[in-house]
Amino acid sequence: MSLPETMPYTGWRWDDLVFLALAGVMLGSALLVVLSRNIIRSGLFMVLSFLGLAGIYALAGSPIVAAAQVLVYIGAISVLILFAVMLTQSKAGPAALVFQRQAWIAAIASVVLLGLIGASILLTDFPAAEALPTVHETREVAFLIFDANVFAFEVVSLLLLAAVVGGIFIARRDESADEEGA
Amino acid sequence: MTSLSNPWNRLTLAGKVIVPLVIALIGVTIALAAVWLSGFGPWLIQWLLDTLGANIGIVRFLIATTVILLITVPIAFLNIFFEMKIIAFVNLRVGPNRTGPWGTLASVVHGLKVLAKEDFTPTGADVPVFTLAPAVIFLAAVMTLLVVPFAPGLFAFDMEIGLIYFFAVGGLSVIGLMMAGWASFNKYSLLGGLRAAAGMISYELPLILSVVGIVLLTGSLNLTTIVEDQSGSFLDWNIFRQPLGAMIFFIAATAEGSRTPFDLTEADSEIVAGFATEYSGMRFGFLFFAEYVNVFILSAMTTVLFLGGWNAPLDIDPLLNFFGIATPVTVVLDPGSLGFGLLGVIAIVPPVITLILAVAIRMLIPTWGFLRSLVVAFVLLNMLVVGLLLGWLAINLDWVLGLLWFLIKAIGLSAFFVLLRATLPRVRVDELMGFAWKWLTPAALINIFVTAAALIVVKSMEGGL
Repeated sequence: MSLPETMPYTGWRWDDLVFLALAGVMLGSALLVVLSRNIIRSGLFMVLSFLGLAGIYALAGSPIVAAAQVLVYIGAISVLILFAVMLTQSKAGPAALVFQRQAWIAAIASVVLLGLIGASILLTDFPAAEALPTVHETREVAFLIFDANVFAFEVVSLLLLAAVVGGIFIARRDESADEEGA
Repeated sequence: MTSLSNPWNRLTLAGKVIVPLVIALIGVTIALAAVWLSGFGPWLIQWLLDTLGANIGIVRFLIATTVILLITVPIAFLNIFFEMKIIAFVNLRVGPNRTGPWGTLASVVHGLKVLAKEDFTPTGADVPVFTLAPAVIFLAAVMTLLVVPFAPGLFAFDMEIGLIYFFAVGGLSVIGLMMAGWASFNKYSLLGGLRAAAGMISYELPLILSVVGIVLLTGSLNLTTIVEDQSGSFLDWNIFRQPLGAMIFFIAATAEGSRTPFDLTEADSEIVAGFATEYSGMRFGFLFFAEYVNVFILSAMTTVLFLGGWNAPLDIDPLLNFFGIATPVTVVLDPGSLGFGLLGVIAIVPPVITLILAVAIRMLIPTWGFLRSLVVAFVLLNMLVVGLLLGWLAINLDWVLGLLWFLIKAIGLSAFFVLLRATLPRVRVDELMGFAWKWLTPAALINIFVTAAALIVVKSMEGGL
């Protein structure tokens, strides 16, 4: 006796159930990022939200994008944000007031954004996926990045390099000021 | 209710565990007997097997994850034992020698001790984050074990992107470290957590870059393919094709596991025990559990990537052929052919062999009493049987020998990590970051460049250019 192909009574595929669970985790934790009064918890909920998105990528048959999502968005970006918050925040300071200053502007911006995203979703005609990718998806992604679109890839990497150099220049200790201080 | 709750309250803690277990056992026995007597037995077993067979994917997933979760316990115990015994050996001490033979059970006792200690949450701590942090750290370590290929055909998941998965999930432990450091509400914990996170982020870069050379050579991110690519003699192992990469990977792995000389997350004079300062009881135990599992995982990864994984260092088949033994060796045993005689063999042979061994020992060492020689003979018999069983398994199942080689290499490397800890002094904290960014990362980049250039040269020469 095997599990039925679709869920009883509703007729959904089992993948749909997993998708709903992951989407629920993602959206719920994304909401908590905004609503949470504690900035570190906001950051941790953001990690959870990214994990949900990675799960959706894996469910959609693209494990390499899911792994890149975990590696870059959680392993690097979220950690960096948490790191910066922990270095600058102190528990003695007002942890909750920080969020409320630009409520009106934020409300307008989010309504506009909602309208834009909603319109683009409604106007786009989503074609059904033909088939799940084969196991050699990694190889195809590599060819797409390093062969077909290598020029765009190089331009992006140059931009990132410029950003890194600029970041180091800003972060560099001003040596002349140090000497004056000493 | 009172008639039931009074005897229940009088039970000791152990009794509260054992009495429900006994009741459950009796219930299960009665249910099984009822099923058997009613004649539904064969039908039930058939139905169970059919159901499991039809959902083989789910069953395999559950078994694989459970086994991976469970094998971390012996791994951690072995590493704790190494930690105590090898460092004692280096220090010219005896080390643990009271619990179990050669003190082997000392780590089990440590585990029980940690379980029995008070689990304390400091005032002002962020309770959910504080509670979850050890679990995040431990899970990040265990989940990386899912893709490690232990032997041919013996793995939890054979992912096409196994290598990226390993780095992605392994990097999640940084989140756990920062959670532990921040939620403890203690400046030493916070500093320790930040220091650990900074160290891990810095050393993740050379760790990932150092294996790009292997990916270039193998042309795959699949760990099984990487191991199969190193088959042959030990000269085919990646450590000889990528010596610089192996060195960088090993150093960065030492730092990733927060092992000496890079274990700056714990510094008694500066930040006490780092992010673990406020932890006690089993949560503290979990932090260290994760560390010891991590040591094994990094050893296993080094083995898979650079030391040929499950491949034997030398192929002994030609040597066996030279002596006239046909390979692969097969031993045909069919115990079922004995029928009911098999039961007799199982019942009679072990006592007879034990008695013969006991008599032999008595004759060889006349000073021993008969009981003593009997006990020794029984232990000898068990060792003999286990040895024969292992030999038979190694000949008949190809993954047993592979697993043996893999474990020898990985556990040897774990012991080497402990030996490093006993030998080397700590790095200074300001030198820690500089070493990663100024030396290891450029060296890893040079390694990638040289490997890619060599590949192009070799390919163009083969192509006849």
